[in-house]
Amino acid sequence: MENKFVQAPFEVDQHITAHSNYFAGKMGSKFYVALRDSKEILGVRCKTCSKVLWPPRETCGRCFSLLTEDDLVKIGPGGSVVSFTRVHYSEPIHPDVDAPLVYAVIQLDGADSGMTHLIGGVDPEQIEIGMRVTPVFIENRNGNILDIVYFKPE
Amino acid sequence: MKRNVAIIGGGQTYHAARRHDVDQGEMVNEAVRAALKDARMTMDDIDAVFLGNMEFFEGTHLTDCWLAGSAGAYGKPGMKITTGGTVGATIIGAGMHHVAAGLFDKVLCIGFEKQEEGDTGAILSGVAHPLYGRSMAGAAVGYFAMMGTSYMAAWGAKEEHAAMVAVKARQNARKNQYAHLKLDITIEDALNSRMLAYPVRMLDMCPASNGACVVILGDEKTARDRCKKPVWIRAMDTAHNEQFEIDWRNVTLTKPIFSTACAARMYKRLGVDDPKKYFDVFEIYEPATWAEMVWYEDLGLCSRGEGFKLMEEGATAIDGPIPVNPSGGVLSTNCIGASAMLRVWEAALQIRGDAGGHQVPKEVNRALATAYGGTNWTVMTALSSSTED
Amino acid sequence: MNQKNTVTEQICVPMTVDVPYRFAAGKYMARFLTELRDNGRFVGVKCPSCNRVQMPPRVVCAACHVKNDEWVELSSEGTMVGFTIMYLPLTDPTTGKPHEPPFVYGSVRLDGSDSTVEHMVNVEPDLDKIWVGMRMKVVLRDREERIGDLSDIIHFEPLPGQKRPQ
Repeated sequence: MENKFVQAPFEVDQHITAHSNYFAGKMGSKFYVALRDSKEILGVRCKTCSKVLWPPRETCGRCFSLLTEDDLVKIGPGGSVVSFTRVHYSEPIHPDVDAPLVYAVIQLDGADSGMTHLIGGVDPEQIEIGMRVTPVFIENRNGNILDIVYFKPE
Repeated sequence: MKRNVAIIGGGQTYHAARRHDVDQGEMVNEAVRAALKDARMTMDDIDAVFLGNMEFFEGTHLTDCWLAGSAGAYGKPGMKITTGGTVGATIIGAGMHHVAAGLFDKVLCIGFEKQEEGDTGAILSGVAHPLYGRSMAGAAVGYFAMMGTSYMAAWGAKEEHAAMVAVKARQNARKNQYAHLKLDITIEDALNSRMLAYPVRMLDMCPASNGACVVILGDEKTARDRCKKPVWIRAMDTAHNEQFEIDWRNVTLTKPIFSTACAARMYKRLGVDDPKKYFDVFEIYEPATWAEMVWYEDLGLCSRGEGFKLMEEGATAIDGPIPVNPSGGVLSTNCIGASAMLRVWEAALQIRGDAGGHQVPKEVNRALATAYGGTNWTVMTALSSSTED
Repeated sequence: MNQKNTVTEQICVPMTVDVPYRFAAGKYMARFLTELRDNGRFVGVKCPSCNRVQMPPRVVCAACHVKNDEWVELSSEGTMVGFTIMYLPLTDPTTGKPHEPPFVYGSVRLDGSDSTVEHMVNVEPDLDKIWVGMRMKVVLRDREERIGDLSDIIHFEPLPGQKRPQ
């Protein structure tokens, strides 16, 4: 056969679709059940570090202490904006939210770590660091972080 | 090696089809705490953490970041390793090289899988070439089925021989408190189990398990100072096969392939003439019954085409002269990211004499563990109670 | 908190990820696929050092680490080296549709090649009608239906007039 050859590029478009089921585990399940059934936000207190962490976890990453259900504490629901950004394009992950959308890191009252969530119910131009906010819950909650629609100014 | 490296502790979770009670981090943490307890250490003693699992099997990427807290890796050096079915052994390899080189003295190695969470079929299809292999849906079961027909046609083995492997694995698993499939089955049960892909039946295949394994490695000084029964890593070797050439299934091939080439190189380095005499126990990675008999031949435990006879003679039984997979093996427990590490850890437990119910009834000084994965590649680990051989 | 010792529901969050990608076949694989699509024939490369004929063609012989630059045409007939009768409805990941079980699926070494290729086999799922060593031929789709991947092969088919060896 001919050894010298000119070959046109050969490209194809394909995709892989993968489904998964994430199990929230001991601490995660407590968190989502409280959020869904009681509109409560749980964090976990590490006695060794004297820190309250969100989301709740079984091991304190800093000191490797084993934390238990007894260490769960209610935090928030209000908190303060630590940092934020305005996103001027739509995100496929939030099909129901029109741009511009505002993401913020919110330090809930009683917690030492922040939660990233959306800010709504306010002119994006009016948001500033230090602003006090409180969560708005949806009616039919199903145990998902989007059971909180967004945080709005107090 | 520049410095001798020993396994100075380890641990595992129990393995099961369902672990709805824990998230990935909580599951991994069970094995980390078990291993620290075994080594009589705390996380403060550990210099670096190496962690791995199957790529995207749980639908999560960057598991080293996700699980840093549960793994005890916060602020410590280390990395994630992802090499398919071999990964558990590759993680130990990475840890071993760092200790041997003198970079760290005490390294924690973690392999895990929560198979129930992901879409293993879809993710594994990504292993095949998009245009040459991906539309051909044989999956792992089809691969081992073709190994089975090829093996029977070449050597005159029967389905009964595969059934004997299936029974040995699950009866051994009954002696292992951590194993997933602890089944009191007979040859007839295996031969009557549901046909998946001729000649591979349900009981010829490994399960999909959830679980984690952790091994702690130490340098020689740490091992001698702090560990009563260090198990020395005497050699590790790896070998890949050629892309597109799925040789392991074509059992009459005489050219060197990944498994035979890796074994030959390791045996030469260790001065092994007769592996079945040199090693006292084997923990091999057998995702299907037929693979176990092909491993016997590839590892030189018998001549080519005689693996099924070795099985028939009972030579590889837990109380036989060449015990293979007293733990129950991959056929009884397959949390993939942990499976290859479990082979090494179970081999180490045999040398320590700490395997409990599935301890082989003879003196064990040397053991060989194999790993298998991808489109045919292996990691092999030779362990010994002594640094002298 | 007073939630101690209560049995908590185990929360599970389902997710789906769809990953699109554009795959470039590369020079050697492109020639193989183009020959298959346009001319309905199989081509491989022969290593100048070990003389091994490799299909699909690849630029380097993995065993010898030399460049493969002799192209050879392969037969559309070959020999079965391993097969299975599949009883699971495995999904074709490129179409999302299951293959209806039971079906026969095999690995065939085309004449003139040292490599094997896997595909469906058009034979009844009966052990009397399929065996290792059986002579097979490739059945391709019509030219206008071929797209340049292995789905251009419909299946393998046994050559006529064969008897099962005892």
